[in-house]
Amino acid sequence: MKLVAFVSDYKMTVDTLDRLKPEKLGIILVQNGVYHATTKEKGKPSSLLNYSADYYVLQEDLETRGLSGANVIDSKVKVIKFGDIVDLMFNEYDKTAWL
Amino acid sequence: MATTKLGFIVQRPGYKSENPKLALTHAIASQSVEIYLKDGDIVTADIAFIGDGVLNCIKGQKAVENYDLNSTESHIKMSLLLDLNVLVCKEDLERFGMTESDIVIDAPEFGAEVEVKVVPYTEISKMMEEMNHLLFF
Repeated sequence: MKLVAFVSDYKMTVDTLDRLKPEKLGIILVQNGVYHATTKEKGKPSSLLNYSADYYVLQEDLETRGLSGANVIDSKVKVIKFGDIVDLMFNEYDKTAWL
Repeated sequence: MATTKLGFIVQRPGYKSENPKLALTHAIASQSVEIYLKDGDIVTADIAFIGDGVLNCIKGQKAVENYDLNSTESHIKMSLLLDLNVLVCKEDLERFGMTESDIVIDAPEFGAEVEVKVVPYTEISKMMEEMNHLLFF
């Protein structure tokens, strides 16, 4: 299964991602999930970035919060726009999940 | 003559939910209740951003451009225009590696004369003790 998961919260209280074992995993950081890409707490980046996955963050949601691609702390996170999300869903993954 | 003190505590990041912005709209609205009060009675509103709530204060928010939404930043500036006491927790800003230069501090373009104050949590705690009503968002 090729799964792309939307992460829309900054603080996650479930370990759903740990339980998913897709052959290919994409993580799209949207809404308050964008803070995973930009924010370090006490100098440490978010543990959400430790998965073996392709990472994306939505530019529109970064900008809404006063952030930009320049604030993304890990180069493995690619900044994308809404149109790119549609392309990813249709061309790269079989299923989507919203966490 | 009586003073009712309201404290609005914002502890969640903005936008995914309307909840944090409601703290600001409620605080702003609290300043328009004079017609329901007796002569001499007043209502004050203090706002404090703590925990993940300090992320609401990052400046340069482009909510109008992207979603046609009034930004939380503009609501903070409106609060300053009304001379509301707006506090941001210093320790929580530092936890995210941020400083005063990363957040909304003033609103001269709105004609506001007061500024956001970055203060230690002890000062926010003291403010909370002085309030008649505390509302958490």
